[in-house]
Parts: sequence; structure tokens; C-alpha cells
Amino acid sequence: MDLIELEKEVEELRRLLQKKENELCLLKQNLNIVSPVLDQNGSHSDTGVTGTETKGTLPKWAIERYSRQILVPEIGVKGQEKLMRGRVLIVGAGGLGCPAGVYLAGAGVGELGLVDYDAVDITNIHRQFLHGEKMQNISKADSAARSLRSINSRIKITAHNIQLSASNALEIASRYDVILDCSDNVPTRYLLNDVSVLTKIPLISGSALKMEGQLTIYGYREVDDKKKEPYTGPCYRCLFPSPPPPEAVGSCSANGVSGPVPGTIGCLQALEAIKLLVGRNRESLLVQRMLIFDGDDMTFRTVKLRSRNDRCAACSDNATLTELIDYEALCSMPANDKELDLHILPPEHRIGATELVQQMNKPGHLLVDVRSENEYQMCCIEGAVNYPIDKLEKMFEELMENISGASRVTFICRRGNDSQVAAKLAMEKIEKNREKIQDVEGGLHAWAKYIDRDFPVY
Amino acid sequence: MPETLKLQINFSGGAELLFDKIKKHNIELPSVRKYLPDSKAEKWTIRELLVWIKGNLLKERPELFLQGDSVRPGILVLINDADWELFGELEYELQQNDNIMFISTLHGG
Repeated sequence: MDLIELEKEVEELRRLLQKKENELCLLKQNLNIVSPVLDQNGSHSDTGVTGTETKGTLPKWAIERYSRQILVPEIGVKGQEKLMRGRVLIVGAGGLGCPAGVYLAGAGVGELGLVDYDAVDITNIHRQFLHGEKMQNISKADSAARSLRSINSRIKITAHNIQLSASNALEIASRYDVILDCSDNVPTRYLLNDVSVLTKIPLISGSALKMEGQLTIYGYREVDDKKKEPYTGPCYRCLFPSPPPPEAVGSCSANGVSGPVPGTIGCLQALEAIKLLVGRNRESLLVQRMLIFDGDDMTFRTVKLRSRNDRCAACSDNATLTELIDYEALCSMPANDKELDLHILPPEHRIGATELVQQMNKPGHLLVDVRSENEYQMCCIEGAVNYPIDKLEKMFEELMENISGASRVTFICRRGNDSQVAAKLAMEKIEKNREKIQDVEGGLHAWAKYIDRDFPVY
Repeated sequence: MPETLKLQINFSGGAELLFDKIKKHNIELPSVRKYLPDSKAEKWTIRELLVWIKGNLLKERPELFLQGDSVRPGILVLINDADWELFGELEYELQQNDNIMFISTLHGG
């Protein structure tokens, strides 16, 4: 059958299914079985049969559905009621947000909000398991919300398909009781911290990269009416008053991540959210403590953190922060984990992928691939030699010798940033024939787009 | 009193990349007066330890580890699994068999 026809048909059916699901959801809501909210007396009449022995306030379906966690003394009936009234905002429907969302939906948290500006990409799926192959290019917030609805149709799930920013964050966050930082970039982490401070909503902050993960709770406030000044835990800025230099910040797309690592941290974020909602005290929560997970040597370390900083710009009594600011400017980084296109080399030293083909056919041409060994082994252009950028210092002499014997030298990398850095280093070192050194604009991504469609794009 | 001071230094969260990708280092410090004869320091504190690390362990791009006489923003220092802020940060006087950990914060997800 014609591929396009079939794809169209699948898309139609998907739309129809979504419509029917929405109808079903509305019907259930009208029957008043979807809403976990109890009436003022705390009683309910699920079956209409009076005289049934139910001491608690949970309806039959909830007792059955959530029995396994209600049996846990730390949760119990009271805890389950709190969970069902709880509202959690998950920022980032990725490697952390997916597992966190699954467990919170499963636990029957009354309302979940999912924020993500991005669309599902095939490179996400190894760790972001709420998105299937069929959801590629569809909004991650929508895709995750749809999967979560299939897990629990009795809770309210809202997809916020937007880039969280200073202009919308407070309004969205104020509808929730807890925020989960499942984001992937520094500006969003500072933004969420300040939102947490200004709204007094606790922030459960998880992060993961390569084989490591970190987890802690920021901005925790003890609820104690008797005390005049209730305890408040440190915020992100108490620990990290200024953002790190951009070149020290790694990302999953540049440095990689093993799926179960954010999986582990995301699960634990959900656990902390559950404990927070049911009202576990600060001793049992990750407050003023940080969990450090190393998946490589399989160690979990819980370290003690400082208390709230008296001079913190965000959360202290002398705070200077009164409203949200421009976080991309604060951090000198964009609020996503996408790579930028740098312009380091002058244009006359940059060629396109098509020109590279022509030059490769000429004798004496040297193609230098500066990606990591690992990436070079995944895929490379035939004839390219590998000088990884982070080993360049050690191998520089050897490379310069190679360059001196070549008639023309082209540097290449994944996207065309590192290749410029390496070419510039070589140009600074070389004494003559500087014009023979160049790099490929757009790197191997351009190569895959214009020359070799079989070349993997990662 | 032994002449040398034995410590375990750990790097994680990506900070190890600046140290030959090695996360655990067992080190032995000579007497501080011998190592830093020009300094007024009598005992090893974190401040002098950073100087020693820069001279002996750090392999590349020192600006990604140090800023001024301290660590760069985004690196958390732990002394025996507790935030160095609780012990006076740079002024903390190192003890035999201390475990000092430098953690770069992660931002991915």
C-alpha cells in the first residue's frame, strides 16, 4: 500500500481516537467518578447503597486502586487523600519527567502539569519512555500527557506546550503545590528556583548526565503554625549564587546520558514529591541534603548541605530579588540544550559539504575529524583521520606534521563548532600557507543532508 | 605526628574530566612549609590544597576548575560528605584521612 496513504490513515485514526478519549473523559467527569474531590463532610456515595461500612473518606474505586500504597503506614488513608488533592508541576517531559510522571500518575496525584516546549525526537526515546516512535515531531508535553492519561484516567493532566520563561512561569506554577525540576539547562534551573522562592512552592530538583545523577529539594518550608519563624531550607542560589561558565556545562546531546540514570533520579523525584504531599517531615525528606548517584561504580551518596544563606539574593531576608529576571542573560546561555552555531573562523576559511567532495578528490587533501573517538567509531567519512578535540593538545605536534605534508586541510566535526576551534589553533601555529586550512560549515550534519543521506544524524 | 597528610580527593559530575578522567585520587601532602615556603601558612587548609591540586593533579583548562583563589561557580566542595560552607570553606584545616570531594553540578535531564 502507498506509504503516504497509510500514514495519513494512521494520523486520521489517531485523531479520532483522541476525540473519543476526550469524549469518554468528559462523560466520566459528568458521572462524577473522575474527580477525586470529596464533599464537605468528607463522605461519598459511589454506589448509592447506604449502610456500607466505610470509616474512611476514600471511595471504593480509590481504595481498590491505591490499596498497595495505602497499606504503607507512611502514606495511609490520610496520605492518599492528600495525594488525590495534590497538584504537581513537572517541568521537562524528558528523561527525568517521564519516570516522575509515571509514578505520580500511578499514585493518583490529583493534578499533574507537564511543561515542555520541545517536540519528540528519535534520540529522546531511549530514556524518555512516555514517547513512542509514532510520536516523533509531536509536542513532548502532549505526548507525555497522552501516555499518562492511559495510565490513570481519574486524574487531571494538563499539557503546557510552551517555553517556560519569566513572563509565564509564575502564573503557571501558582496553580500547583510542588514543582519538579526535570529540565535540561541552567537558565531554566535558575528560573525555577526563583519561581519557587517567590511563590513559596517547594522545588524538587533532579539532574542527570552520562552516568551520574543529583537530587535535592530546594525552598522547603516547614508547616508549623506554632513557630513564629518556620524552618526554610536552602534554595538553589544559596548553594550556587552565580551560574557556571557556559563552557563548563555539559548536555545530554553533547555528552550523552545512559537512560536508566535519569530514570533512577526521576523515580526518586516522584518519591520525594509523594512524601512531601503526604506530609513527611524534613528529616525524612532530601532537605539540606543532596543525593549523588554514580551509575558507573553504582554508589549512592547522601551529603549534607549548608543551611539557608543569610545573604542569599533570592531567599534571604535581605533578598534583592523581587521579580523574575532574564535568565538567559543571567547565565549567558539559551534555555534549552541545543547547540549554538558559532562563528569563529572568517567566512573564506569555511566550506560547504559539496565543496568538500570536490576537494577530497584532489591529491594531498587531508580530512581531520575532531569528534571524540567514540563518535568517530560510530560513523565517519572514509579517509578522515581522527584527532579528538580534547586530545588535541597531546597530539598537536603529530597533527601539525601531517598538516605540513598536505596540500589542503579540512577540519570537520558533528555540527561545525569544534572544527572551527581546531582549525583556528592550527592556523595560529602554521607559519605559511594558512589559506590551505578550512572547516566544514554545518559539519557532518550538513554532509548527511547534502551528500550522503545514509550518514547517521545524531 | 606524621610528616605527611594523607587525603582522598574525589572529582565527580564532570569535574574529573579536568583530572585525566580519574575520579578518585589518594594523595599525600608534604609539610605545607616545605611545599609553600613563601606562604605564611602553617597548616594545610583547603586554600593551600587548591594550589597543590593546580600544580599536581589538574591537567587542563584551570579556569574550568578555579576562579581566583577558590573553585569556580557551579562546583560544590564537600568535606567528609558535608558542604564545605559548614566548615569555613577555604579556611578549613585539613585533617589526616579527610575525604575532599569536588562536584560539578549537573544540569541535564
